[in-house]
Amino acid sequence: MIMSETVPIADANTPAGMLEGDLVRRARKGDLGAYDELVKRYQQRIYATIYHMTANHDDANDLAQDSFIKAYQALKSFKGGSSFYTWLYRIAVNKTINFLKQRKNKHHFSLNDLDFNTEHNPDLVALISDKTPFREAGLTELQKKLNEALMKLSEPHRMVVVLHDVQGQSHEEIAEVMDCNIGTVRSRLFYARRQLQGYLAEYAKPA
Amino acid sequence: MNQNENNFEDLKRLLKLKQHEVPPPGYFNHFSGQVISRIRAGEAGGSQNYTESLQPNAPWLMSFFRIFETRPGLIGGFATSLCLLLLLVVVFSDRPDGTSKNLLAVSEPTAAAASSVASMTAPALVAAPDSSGIVASTNPVTSLQPVATLFGQPASATLFQPASFAPVGR
Repeated sequence: MIMSETVPIADANTPAGMLEGDLVRRARKGDLGAYDELVKRYQQRIYATIYHMTANHDDANDLAQDSFIKAYQALKSFKGGSSFYTWLYRIAVNKTINFLKQRKNKHHFSLNDLDFNTEHNPDLVALISDKTPFREAGLTELQKKLNEALMKLSEPHRMVVVLHDVQGQSHEEIAEVMDCNIGTVRSRLFYARRQLQGYLAEYAKPA
Repeated sequence: MNQNENNFEDLKRLLKLKQHEVPPPGYFNHFSGQVISRIRAGEAGGSQNYTESLQPNAPWLMSFFRIFETRPGLIGGFATSLCLLLLLVVVFSDRPDGTSKNLLAVSEPTAAAASSVASMTAPALVAAPDSSGIVASTNPVTSLQPVATLFGQPASATLFQPASFAPVGR
């Protein structure tokens, strides 16, 4: 006799337990509860991408909200050719790049605090123990220099670095989001890394 | 490529610092609520702005606005010409020129004709104005002219017989 185990899973009838496709269908019909769940699912990733591009919390907040609102208003035009997440990401990326182009080179930093796990990250610990400048420079100063270096990159190059090296997306995903081919993504990534290495020469020396 | 990847190892480790940048605590607790509130507010106030709502009703007006969007210099020219036009209208409307006199000349005979008609019906009302310029009368109308005379018929050709209350046979 097989006893069925009761596993605590989210109710499929509640927004939290629904699949992305169902939520999108309901949101298209005007169900704001379903769209609220979609926002909750992707808010952190969308916000983080925009924040890493702008290096400003307030700008990231505004742009992330605007991106979700624009996506809701444009839901009827969403054909479903890609996942909702990729489509949403594309809206956020385009909105951010347009915003940065309008702002030109007027960067106003409003950096978020580093979390308490920073000092326990093995990669960062290794860097701090290996390289002399890291011992002298505090993590906050290092954070500022890193952001300054990123802001020197053009928007498409910065976007590729952020999506790949910070967010951990694949070349294919980035190509889909940025509407270009994989070769372009690779070349942009290589060029951007080389530029960054030049700006951060004393911290990130080539092996 | 592997050599290149190895060359960027330090950089990639350094970039991991970005992953530790976090927004203020509790920031995401209210984020979705704010988005939904803004969507609701937009729906309540009309999601489209005024110019967008013009699109289906007056597409020619939208294309007119788009010309200004693509050529901002035209906005200045258009505004200047509007101001000049307005100025011209104001200047010429204030000037006592021949046009207004002509209008008066045309209106004078009309007024005379009107007064002659009035004198036929109620001469007391259109009597020569006194010094005060106020014409008023509470007297009853004393001479009623037959209606037929107003239409060019002689007064004798009356359409009614005068009433007589004398006993028959006297």
